[in-house]
Amino acid sequence: MAALRASGIVKRFETVCALDGVDLALQTGQVRGLLGPNGAGKTTLLRVFFGLVRPDAGTVELLDRRLEWPEAEALEGTAGFVENPSFYPYLSGRVNLELMAELDGRTATAKIDDALARVGLAGRGDDRVNGYSTGMKQRLGIAASLLREPRLLLLDEPSAGLDPAGVRDMSALLRQLANDGVTILLSSHQIVEVEEICDSFTILRRGHVVWDGTAEQLREQAPASAYHMQTSDDARTLELAEHQRGVRAAPSRRGGLALAVDLGALDPWVLALGSAGVAVRRLELLVSPVESMFFALTGDSERPPNEPSELAELDRRALAGI
Amino acid sequence: MSTASALAADALGPSAFTRPENGIRRVYRTEVRKLSSQVVVRVVALLCLVVPFIFAALLKVQSGAPTDTLYGVWVHSSGFAVSLVVLASGAAWGVPLIAGTVAGDMFSSEDRYGTWKLVLTRSCTRSNVFVGKLLAAATFVIALELLMAFASMAAGVLLVGAQSLVDLNGTLFSPAHSALLVFISWLTLIPPTLAFTAIAVLLSIATRNGILGVIAPFALALAMQLLLLVGTGIWSHLLLVGAAVFTWHGLFDAHPYLGPLLVGIAVSVIWTVVCIDVSWALLRRRDFAGTPVSRRRGWGTPVRVVVAITASIALIAIAGNWGPAGVTAKRLRSDLTPAFNHLTVLQQTELGRHVPKGAKLTLALPTCSRRGSVPYGPGEWICYFYVQTPSTGALPSEPTNIGYDVSVNWDGCYKAQSPPAFIGQQTMRNKQGKSVVNPLYTIYGCFNPL
Repeated sequence: MAALRASGIVKRFETVCALDGVDLALQTGQVRGLLGPNGAGKTTLLRVFFGLVRPDAGTVELLDRRLEWPEAEALEGTAGFVENPSFYPYLSGRVNLELMAELDGRTATAKIDDALARVGLAGRGDDRVNGYSTGMKQRLGIAASLLREPRLLLLDEPSAGLDPAGVRDMSALLRQLANDGVTILLSSHQIVEVEEICDSFTILRRGHVVWDGTAEQLREQAPASAYHMQTSDDARTLELAEHQRGVRAAPSRRGGLALAVDLGALDPWVLALGSAGVAVRRLELLVSPVESMFFALTGDSERPPNEPSELAELDRRALAGI
Repeated sequence: MSTASALAADALGPSAFTRPENGIRRVYRTEVRKLSSQVVVRVVALLCLVVPFIFAALLKVQSGAPTDTLYGVWVHSSGFAVSLVVLASGAAWGVPLIAGTVAGDMFSSEDRYGTWKLVLTRSCTRSNVFVGKLLAAATFVIALELLMAFASMAAGVLLVGAQSLVDLNGTLFSPAHSALLVFISWLTLIPPTLAFTAIAVLLSIATRNGILGVIAPFALALAMQLLLLVGTGIWSHLLLVGAAVFTWHGLFDAHPYLGPLLVGIAVSVIWTVVCIDVSWALLRRRDFAGTPVSRRRGWGTPVRVVVAITASIALIAIAGNWGPAGVTAKRLRSDLTPAFNHLTVLQQTELGRHVPKGAKLTLALPTCSRRGSVPYGPGEWICYFYVQTPSTGALPSEPTNIGYDVSVNWDGCYKAQSPPAFIGQQTMRNKQGKSVVNPLYTIYGCFNPL
């Protein structure tokens, strides 16, 4: 059963075509990563699903109910947020959640306590939101979503603004929700993080869906993953790489080698190095299959934000000839 | 189908059939809670409660009176006059101030805080949100207005007393009748208050600017007050919702006239419906597409709104002479003459002189003429009474000429004052030797301009 079905979504803002015939289907229980560079149309698509933006063409069904604009009755059972979740700053986090629960027709004091605890805000719920950090607001946004006991969760960059521990907690929470059977559509720039949670992906570029499928399909179709490698003998490694199927290597400016390795070629390559008496001292994944697919499909316009720029440039150059 | 009909259909239509009332009620409750939490709303509520008491206390400690305001001269004589002076002087500014404060930022604050996406992704429809917010705003403005009404009546009664009130023809209302009329007068403010609330909502939605939403209704009210001073035509004035806050005057006539009041209510309803219709049309079709798209809007919409309002006001100003003149010499003369008669009787009674029932002055040839280019319309008038004073001793009776300077407003309400040579000073000693208001010093009156 499809939890979300969008067909032929078109949305223009003046001269900009934000969405150009987007089709998307999300089966119940799926955790879908919605990826794309800035301006690809991810957030606009989520706004369409929330009924915040009326498309110029196309239809949307959420949980088997057709979404009618501007009325959003079909949002029942759906929760989430777009961009940074915002709240009334002059009210406490708890009162904000109480208002949201009131709008949902729920009286949920216990649930509010539970939601605050689940997102790590149990001790800060009575503080005014204008004293919250971005990450805390992000957590409160998740808490507001949880209050609705959603069957379909639409999240836009849920980890934005969170510290590393927060990112880890968020991933764990999303995994738990997924295990509970909640269907999740997750828009994010944190490809590595999304990769861990999602079982399928949709990649948008300039308002078009350029790839859509399961994680396995994506890995199979992905171009080479990129690695940074340090060995006991880089010159010998380069020689060996010329004869190894699925592996291409180039010197890296920061020392060591930049590698492009096709799916399934990494293990034979490492074994081959060992057999040739070359020790692998360091092997660092720079670009995962999902990332490499993403870069290939989106024109390599985006790099992971946590990657040092120098390394990114170095390895981009190193891989340029591949 | 009008937008209002569409709105009603949306609220009651198939998509909302599951919980139409619940959705509105839920939004209403959240909005009431939000408004109750806002400092500015609490401050306005405090002012509505405290200002009438401060005003009454200031009057208590000083001998002067705000004679320029209707019933101003009576503030030391009846507590109900205190409430009426608060109503008369505060309505023109207080109503738009309350409406702007409560409703002017109600929708735009969702833009400022970025919370539209929070509200509109809960279990309530866009029409639920719109109607719920409107009802919450209406509840608050009416509650604040009633708070000011009760506070002013309480302040007047506690600090001055619940004495009888002189009506606008110079006769006395009983205290109970006075209290009832004063309260009804406050209630007549509700339609124009709702109209100003609708204007504030429209500005809040159209401009997405809280400052404009709060201040513009006040500025609009100011512009309307100025327009009420322009032209002589009655219809162009009555079409201004700012005029509707004064239509309670007719209730205080010995023969109450309700024409202006009913027209004021109708005009208020029209302004309310039109503003709500346009507001809903704007909100209904709006895309909540985030900051970048909002930024592209720039000042275009606010400028368009201001231009539209300015053009409307200019049109009304140009049409200031539309309709018959409500203020004429005949109407003024026929209203001022009995008022003068009744107030003279009241004055004599206060002085302890015997006044036979039905007694009246012999007035000869009362005349009224307007100081200006045309002999009709609001402005400065002068009226002469020729009073046949009784003969004293050997002197024969002879007509005495009394001239009153009369300031007449567009709605037929006026204030008449005469030099004290004949009618005496502002205060006088009554038969008990107590200082009381001289009823003839300042005459307030109103006649039906329709």
